[in-house]
Amino acid sequence: MSALLAGPRVQLVLRLLLGAFFVYASLDKIASPAAFAKVVYQWQVVGPAPSNFVAVTLPWVELLAGALLIVGAWRREAALVIALLLVVFIAAAGSVMARGIDVENCGCVSLAANAAPSAWPPAWMKGVGWFLVTRNVVLLAAALALVGVMPLSHGTQATGGVASRIHSGERSGASEGGATQRPPDEK
Amino acid sequence: MLLFLDMAVDWKRFILILVAGASLGLAWNAGSGRGMALGQSVLVQAGDELVAVRAGKVLLDQGALFLDARPRDFWRMSRIPGALPLPEEDFERAFQEAEPRLRRASAVVVYCSGYGCEASHLVARKLRERGFAAAILDEGLPAWQDAGLPLDEEPRP
Repeated sequence: MSALLAGPRVQLVLRLLLGAFFVYASLDKIASPAAFAKVVYQWQVVGPAPSNFVAVTLPWVELLAGALLIVGAWRREAALVIALLLVVFIAAAGSVMARGIDVENCGCVSLAANAAPSAWPPAWMKGVGWFLVTRNVVLLAAALALVGVMPLSHGTQATGGVASRIHSGERSGASEGGATQRPPDEK
Repeated sequence: MLLFLDMAVDWKRFILILVAGASLGLAWNAGSGRGMALGQSVLVQAGDELVAVRAGKVLLDQGALFLDARPRDFWRMSRIPGALPLPEEDFERAFQEAEPRLRRASAVVVYCSGYGCEASHLVARKLRERGFAAAILDEGLPAWQDAGLPLDEEPRP
């Protein structure tokens, strides 16, 4: 699993898909910040003025991180930014669902007017619910795979991860002991 | 946490993406012409008059007319005492019902379900177009309830 996700082709595909999704998702919000601010406000996670700040800044972070993923620059950091956003989105959606707030249009991708109840996309896809959470968990898994956080299966595929972690653990232990106890190989 | 410390991530770049993105957003908001005032609720427009719930209670005690801009079914379940239904989606019909009371009212306050609810703002503007000054209850019914102010919960047909 880890080896598969770390493969260059898989990484390229994940990078382009995730980057394109976030760039696409940012455009509508950038075009109409006030409409997006209303949606953020409806989530009732932050108050009116912070909602405006989120509405103004968030889409540009999405756009920038998505564009970096597509061109392949700073890809780990860009993927980590997207992973952070997704964690926030999932937590916010959980909060909205737990409080029973009805958000007709989650404002995640499109801000198309809520006015006419159209057949597509259906309400369960547009609103804040399990579909949204599941989608974001899948996207989060893709983002983490790009960052380099891999599921550890059976220890056999634990490549650099565990080994370097143990190593850094030893090192930090040594440095706590003071400079005089530095292992000879670190000089 | 160890997992995170272990990642080959340049944290300066990580922070830079966040800061640069936020800065671009603020610059776009300031310079693009599509921007908005950041300091106040996006629902508030020029001419809107807001009234806080405590001041709203004083107005209620003085005999102000309260109007419920939520869908009528919500009004049927519970309402601020004495409030008439004036749902935004059924404005014309409900307005005709409420008009005689509006003409007699000393003051008018419109409310809806708070937070991102825009209905009270829209109804107040429609009333203003028809020559009736109406204040908007800031943060709506949730703030009213949070302040421990009375609610009429007798079901209406």
